[in-house]
Amino acid sequence: MYLGPVKQASLKIGILTAIVTLAALAAVWLAATYRESDSQARLLPDRVMTVFPAPQPLTAFALTDHQNRGFDLSRLRGRWSFLFFGFTHCPDICPTTLADMARVREDTAKSTAGAEDVQFVFVSVDPGRDTASRLGQYVAHFHPTFLGVTGDDAQLRNLAGQLGAAYQVEAAPGVENYPVYHAAAVFLVDPQARYRAVFTPPLDAEVISRRFDVLRKLEGPGAQ
Amino acid sequence: MKWRAPVLVGMLSSVLSLAAAASEAAGVFARDAWIREAPPGAAMLAGYMALQNQSSQPQVLVAAKSPSFGAVMIHRTIVKDGMAGMSHTSQIELAPNATLNFSPGGYHLMLSNPRRALRVGDRVEIYLEFRSGLVLPVAFEVRK
Repeated sequence: MYLGPVKQASLKIGILTAIVTLAALAAVWLAATYRESDSQARLLPDRVMTVFPAPQPLTAFALTDHQNRGFDLSRLRGRWSFLFFGFTHCPDICPTTLADMARVREDTAKSTAGAEDVQFVFVSVDPGRDTASRLGQYVAHFHPTFLGVTGDDAQLRNLAGQLGAAYQVEAAPGVENYPVYHAAAVFLVDPQARYRAVFTPPLDAEVISRRFDVLRKLEGPGAQ
Repeated sequence: MKWRAPVLVGMLSSVLSLAAAASEAAGVFARDAWIREAPPGAAMLAGYMALQNQSSQPQVLVAAKSPSFGAVMIHRTIVKDGMAGMSHTSQIELAPNATLNFSPGGYHLMLSNPRRALRVGDRVEIYLEFRSGLVLPVAFEVRK
């Protein structure tokens, strides 16, 4: 087929444009892939921690801490927060996780970044039994800086819902040891009060400390 | 020589059991028995151990009792759909030459209403009852 000199020239330009466009797209794609695999290599070599690429800003909630002070969004700003949902009548997984968190705090305190701007929050989903004083005694056993917080069901559902922390309290009249089901994961909120990462069981304190340290380093100073 | 490995493993685990000053009755051993020290006033604690059946018969754990607690129950923490809960287990069968680990996040003895505050280093006796009538006393050490 003969296209004539004008048409041939425009075809050449068209092919050239297509090649340039494809090359540009490939470069962008390669850069994106490289960035992603690089960050994954540094942050997700195992399934301990999932870091969200687009951290979700938390919205207002109103709970109360073990010293009867309000615990709201402002208490999450300016520091990293590890949150764990549970209840004090829990013999196995809650003390185990809090002991792990105490170890994470110890490791973090020894790291260069330190633990000054890191808090550990135990959220009781069982306000019926977990009074402020009971919560205070409970968390202090694991570390004197640990916070115990709770609230009414609507406010607990509010925060738990934002973090995807399912729980269920099967309280029944006259039953002393009713069952409570709660999320087994540990949630990490960044200093801008955004849901940043989640640690899923089986939890390993040493690995959590290392991942957290890397995340903070990547974030760099001025993350607040 | 196919028989060597199991014999060696058997000998090795026997030696380890002795070294760990294990509780033993009719071929059933409990090793590394411990209770996590609980916060003051805690109503619930958990006991952990490695329970080993070296007899040629299956052994069925049906109950546990202790003068140090209001009640002892065989429990298992189960994580389902991301939610942790406990399920009560009425009995556990240990096959011959099997070991069952009671460990954090899994099987544990739920110890409710301690009669006294238990501190790190304390030892409490818990009696494991088997269907065969066997009762195995196990000393649990309170640890951090």
